[in-house]
Amino acid sequence: MSQVDCREAMAKLDEYLKQELTPDLAAEVRRHLEHCRPCFSHARFEENFLAMMESCGRKETCPEKLRAKILAALKSEARRD
Amino acid sequence: MVEPFTAGRSFDDEALPHLDALYRVALRLTADPTLAEDLVQDTMLKAYRSWRQYRPGTNAKGWLLTILRNTFINDYRRRKHEPVAMDLDLVEPHAIDRSPQETDPEGSFFSQIVDAKVLEAIDSLPTDFREVLVLSDVEGMRYAEIAETLKIPVGTVKSRLFRARHQLQADLYAHAVEMGYIRPREART
Repeated sequence: MSQVDCREAMAKLDEYLKQELTPDLAAEVRRHLEHCRPCFSHARFEENFLAMMESCGRKETCPEKLRAKILAALKSEARRD
Repeated sequence: MVEPFTAGRSFDDEALPHLDALYRVALRLTADPTLAEDLVQDTMLKAYRSWRQYRPGTNAKGWLLTILRNTFINDYRRRKHEPVAMDLDLVEPHAIDRSPQETDPEGSFFSQIVDAKVLEAIDSLPTDFREVLVLSDVEGMRYAEIAETLKIPVGTVKSRLFRARHQLQADLYAHAVEMGYIRPREART
């Protein structure tokens, strides 16, 4: 079993948090975080940051009026074809 | 998730599910709701007109965002007289401010900051950093998808993302201190 060190864990942290690592690699990074306090804190810091970005950034949705306007524009464009 | 175009799927089926994402990215790029609406509508019409020329294997969201971004650069950015920030990639980053993590190692202050302040701080980043940050951390796109959408190398995506996050985290930390959510250097032993 290969060991992930601090350097490697931090280099892979972003992909780890976005769940883009292979299950094996993700497990190794997780193991490192469980045993390394500074890396664990750093991971929590980034995790809290990403949670904030997602929750605040994704609240905005396309206004209904704009959606209707676009649908109408597409319809009239289709008639022209 | 990457959804390749498949023959026979209509423009509506492929493009309309991405309206929310397009609108959000447009808002961040223009920092102006009226301009954002115009930009999304222009994007959808352009996409519709070039719908038959799409290349199989392209993913719909990335394809639409590429059109949105090109439209923004060609028709909208000029209006704001904003300097092109490409040169920022060449500038050495300033010494990285570690104080947010020294004071609040796990970043619990992030959850206390109101949405409007977060958005304001995002909008004040240089456009080239802001767009990478939004595509990655708000829209959840992968490095490779962002590189394809913005036509820049993956390494550039990573370095812009890294610097955008640090800048934003430092700005939000300063705000949190100012608002009294955290007291500087209180938590570290």
